[in-house]
Parts: sequence; C-alpha cells; structure tokens
Amino acid sequence: MKFLLALAWKNLSRHRKRTIITAIAIATGIAMYIWVDSMLLGLEKESERNLVWYETASAKIMEKDFWKNIDYLPLKNSFIPEKDLIGAVEDSGFTWTPRISFLVEMYDSEGSLPVKMIGIDPKRDESVFRLKETLSRGKYLEKGKDEVLIGKNLARDLHVDVGDVVIVKTRSRLGAFQTMDLLVTGIMDCPNPQINNGVAFIPIDVANRALRMEGRVTEMALHFPEWKSPEKKVAELQRKLSGMQGTESPGGKNLVVESWRELGKDYVAIAEGKRGATKIILFLIFIIAAVGISNTMLMALYERMGEIGMMRAMGMNDREVKLSFLLEAGGIGFIGSLIGIALGAVLSFYMVNYGIDFTGMIGDMDVGYRTSGLMRGAWDLKVFVVAFVFGIVASMLVALVPTSRALKMEITECLRSEL
Amino acid sequence: MVRVVDVKKDYHVGKTVVNALRGVTLEVKEGEFISIAGPSGSGKTTLLNLIGCLDKATEGEIFIDDEAVAEKNKKELALLRRRKLGFVFQSFNLIPVLTAYENVSFSLSLLGLSDREIRDRTMKILEEVGLGGLERRFPAELSGGQQQRVAIARALVKEPELVLADEPTANLDSKTGKDILELMAGLNEKHEITFIFSTHDPMVMDFARRLVLLHDGRIVEEKSREA
Ligand SMILES: Nc1ncnc2c1ncn2[C@@H]1O[C@H](COP(=O)(O)OP(=O)(O)OP(=O)(O)O)[C@@H](O)[C@H]1O
Ligand SMILES: [Mg+2]
Repeated sequence: MKFLLALAWKNLSRHRKRTIITAIAIATGIAMYIWVDSMLLGLEKESERNLVWYETASAKIMEKDFWKNIDYLPLKNSFIPEKDLIGAVEDSGFTWTPRISFLVEMYDSEGSLPVKMIGIDPKRDESVFRLKETLSRGKYLEKGKDEVLIGKNLARDLHVDVGDVVIVKTRSRLGAFQTMDLLVTGIMDCPNPQINNGVAFIPIDVANRALRMEGRVTEMALHFPEWKSPEKKVAELQRKLSGMQGTESPGGKNLVVESWRELGKDYVAIAEGKRGATKIILFLIFIIAAVGISNTMLMALYERMGEIGMMRAMGMNDREVKLSFLLEAGGIGFIGSLIGIALGAVLSFYMVNYGIDFTGMIGDMDVGYRTSGLMRGAWDLKVFVVAFVFGIVASMLVALVPTSRALKMEITECLRSEL
Repeated sequence: MVRVVDVKKDYHVGKTVVNALRGVTLEVKEGEFISIAGPSGSGKTTLLNLIGCLDKATEGEIFIDDEAVAEKNKKELALLRRRKLGFVFQSFNLIPVLTAYENVSFSLSLLGLSDREIRDRTMKILEEVGLGGLERRFPAELSGGQQQRVAIARALVKEPELVLADEPTANLDSKTGKDILELMAGLNEKHEITFIFSTHDPMVMDFARRLVLLHDGRIVEEKSREA
C-alpha cells in the first residue's frame, strides 16, 4: 500500500507536464461549471429581488374577488384599510402601503396603449417598494398633483417625455367613463422589465378622487423584514384576518393574503420551467467537463498499457494495479479540482461584484426573468463542494475504465501494445 | 523446476488460426542456463510467455515446481510471478518515472521487505550489474545496454528461481550484448538461478550450456554442452 502511494506520487510529480495538462482540463471544466451555476443562480436571485422590490412586495392583502380576477383589476372589489386590519398588519411587525391598481388606455398623438396604472402614496410607498431609486429623469410624484411616472420603454412607445401631457381613459369604481390629463413628471428605468414596459404610477389621492374610491384601495402591499420564505408569515396573517369580523367594510373575511411567490406566479412558473432548462445547461457543461477529463485521462492511460503489462508481469495483482492507477487519478483529480474551485471562486467573485453587461446583446427583450441586461452572479457554496468531490470521483472513475480493460487483456497483449 | 508437456498454443487472427506451438515438451532443471533458438516466428516468445504464466496454453500442461499452472487463478499466478519469476524483455520495459534504483527496488517492495533490506539488496545488485553510481538516473537518461542491465537487476534482485529473458540482447550492439550475456552467465553460476533465454543470434547461442532449437512451433533439435 505504501509503495503504491509512493508510485502514484512519483507518477504525478515526475510526469509534471502530463499532470498539469490533465489537471488543467479538470480545472477548466470545474471552473466553467461553477461559473455558469453562479450566473444562473444570480439570475434567479436577482429576478426574485426585482419582483419583490418593484412589483409584488413581500405580500399583498386583496379582496378575494380582486385576486381571482387579477388580470382585469376590478375596482369594485376594493376595501377600506380599517383600523383593525391595519392593527393586525402592524402588530405582526410588517410595514405596508396602500395601492390602487387599475387598467387604463393611455393616449398620445398617434394612438393608445393599454397600461396598468397604480395609485401610490408617494411617502408610504418608499417603505415597501424601491421605485423612487429607479427614477432616471424628471422628479418623483407629489401628493395631490395630476402627475404620472412612467417606465422608459412605455415612454418610448408613446413618444412622450418629461413635461408632456398624456391622456388617460378608464372607468371609475362605479363604472362611469373617466378621463384624466396627466403631466409626465418622471421616467423610470427599472431593472424589472415589467415596470419599464407597461406600468404607470400616479398619486393615490388623485386616483381616489378620479375613480370614486372613497378611501378604498385594491391592495395593501406588505414588506416583510425577511422575504425569502414568506409562506409562514402569510399563513399566520391570513389566520388573523379570517378571525376578524367585518365592521363597515366587507371585512377581513373576504380578504386574502398572497405572498410574492403567488403574486409573481408567471415569473415563478417561468423560473420553474427555466430551472429545467438550467439543469440541462448545467448537465451539458457537466458532460463537457466529464469528456474533457476523461479524454486527457484516457489518453494518458492508454499510453501506459505496456507499463500495466510490466506491473502485472512483475507480480502485481489486479487489485494493486487498479489501486495504483486510482490513487494517481485521484491525485490528479484533487489537484485539478483544487485549481478548478479556486478559479471558480475568482469567476464567481467577479460575477457577484461586477457582473457581465448583456444590454447590448439582449436589449429590452422580455424573457420572463425580471432582470435587466446586467447579469450578476451569486455564491453557491454547495456547488463548490459538489464540483470538488465530482472532480476527484470522476477522475478515478475515468481511470478505472482503461485500467479494467487492460486487466481483462492477457498480459502479453498489454506488453505488446507498448508502442 | 519447469516441465512443459505437449503444449500447444493457437492464436486466432480473425478467422484464421495460427498454430504458434504445435506440441512442445521440455524439462528444465534447477540452475540450468538454457537458450531457446530458432528463426523468427518459430514460437520462442510464445513459449517463454507460457512458461512465465503471462498467457495460457491452448493444450498441454506446464508445471512449475511440480504445480500445474493451469489450475491456478489470476491472483495465485500473480503471486507466483512475484515470488519465483523474473522477466527480462527485449524492449527493457522499465517504468519511465522511476529511477534505476526505484525500478529495481520496486520488485522488492512488492514482496513487503523492510526498507533497509530493500536498500541493501538493491544497491548490491546494481553494483553487480555494473551500474554503481547510476542509480539515480531515469531510464531515459541511460543507454540501451544500461537500461537492459537495470532490467536484469530488477529481475534478479528478488532472487527468483527462474529468469525468463526474451531476446535480451536483440536491441543492443554485439559488444554490449556479449557483456550482458556474460553478466547473466555469471549470475547464473553465482546465485544458481535458472535462466531461460531466447535468441536467434548464433553468438548468443554459444553462451548456452543447453540449446533448444525451435522451428515452426516444434522442437527440432537439442544440444548440450559441458562447461
Ligand atoms: N498475439 C498474437 N496474435 C496472433 N499471432 C501471434 C501472436 N503472437 C505471435 N503470433 C504468431 O505466432 C507465431 C510465433 O510467434 P512468436 O512471437 O512466438 O515467434 P518468435 O519465435 O518469438 O519470433 P521472433 O524471433 O520474431 O520474436 C508467429 O507466426 C506469430 O505470427
Ligand atoms: Mg519473439
């Protein structure tokens, strides 16, 4: 055993070129795997963040029927944020902001576009969303003013800019047609393409007046200090609300709490589908890495049939021959994996801190992910461990193939295959 | 020591069958220095490989120390080679990453001897084959003759009962070849190790005390010569 270890070590240290080339092949595969994984994970994480920061908040309280018909945003299914409701939310330690979401037709000189319009409380909204930070031109909304904030792609499609007036046509809560003249006060450039492409914001009191809401809102957007796993908090809050009897408003019984996962279902569904695609991409990378590893290893090993023949002629049994090559391959795998995860760490670090800007390449293409063109990575420590172990195990498995083949051959054949 | 009884060996190449050995019977006694000669393709290598348990006979039996080789499994054969047999090949077959010293000591490591014993025996045999001072060189840094000496040292260091040498001098010039043969003959006398070597070089045959002439897979002539 000791001399087998020594032999493996000598093979590694004295065949330095071969060792290095093989190790580099392994390292490249592993680094690539870590890198792509970091990118894909980063994409998913950033998507989720952009969903929560700009679109869904951590969770929302809505009327049951409003949620059921969320595609139409029916204003009649609205509610007044009563004291007991607010109390229940704030007692749970969540901050909240009221919103009125409704559909409008927005006109410019040439035509119109359907737009989702949201009435927000300019002050309160900041405690839940981060819209204000996305303002790229102009200024933010002010209470009581007939102003609108729109995403940059929508502004482009409507050919409007800061200072222009847009005409908006909609129906009030009671069903009457209503038009509003709104001054474009600011343009947003939001990392969430959904916001950029088709959403406009106005002060909530303006919406309240124009839509005859009489203090009603369509949703209360909630901010959880820790939003990654909202399910438990949502369930708890839902229980509280269901226990509340309605006073003046329809009451807690008709209200539902939905987490961002539910609210962003289209994203989550896409993400789920993409997770399948992600797995395929990672699997392909995995195969490339494995082929790279096996190629170099196999080449190195097939060259050594004669050596195996000699070892056998000298009286080493199959187990010993196998072990000596496994040790050597494991050693190469170890070196390669070590270099690979170091390289992977460097790449991940770059991706996490700087990222790669794909804006020029994909532009404003909406691929379902809520991200802009700047692709950031994320640390995935699990994958480092997995890749490291994989590098070693795969190398050893690969070495097993030609070694087993050589051991099945007659010794004379092994000896003769030395060229 | 070695008994070969009516051994036949066929090789299958595609559909054709090559009868490399067509019934060879031979007895080799302890301490013999015997040469197997014959033209190319006569079956010399085949015979040596069968005696060395590197390949299996198609028919017939081979006994080493009165034990039938055919009845042993792979592992037992490996053990037999490790303990009793030494090989020298035409192409030396040294392990390239090991130094001369390490190539030789390797066969002792397999026997599980103490470090000290391995060292002493390795240095002694290297001295004996005339490689004193070259033990740290790698095979690629040695001449053909020197490499073959390492191979001989490797075969002999474990003091095997039998050394099988397949054309040990074929890749060497005649002067070096003669030196190697003298070395082998000397070691044969001194250590009483049995040597079987093959050759088709008449100069080499002269060294043998017993000559077995193969032709077309059969023994056609045997000559003995008193030293
Ligand atoms: N692995 C093999 N497959 C097929 N035929 C073989 C094989 N090995 C040897 N032979 C054939 O068996 C016969 C004997 O070969 P062998 O190598 O024993 O001869 P040899 O006396 O050693 O020849 P040489 O002096 O050229 O080394 C030859 O006809 C050869 O072609
Ligand atoms: Mg031959």
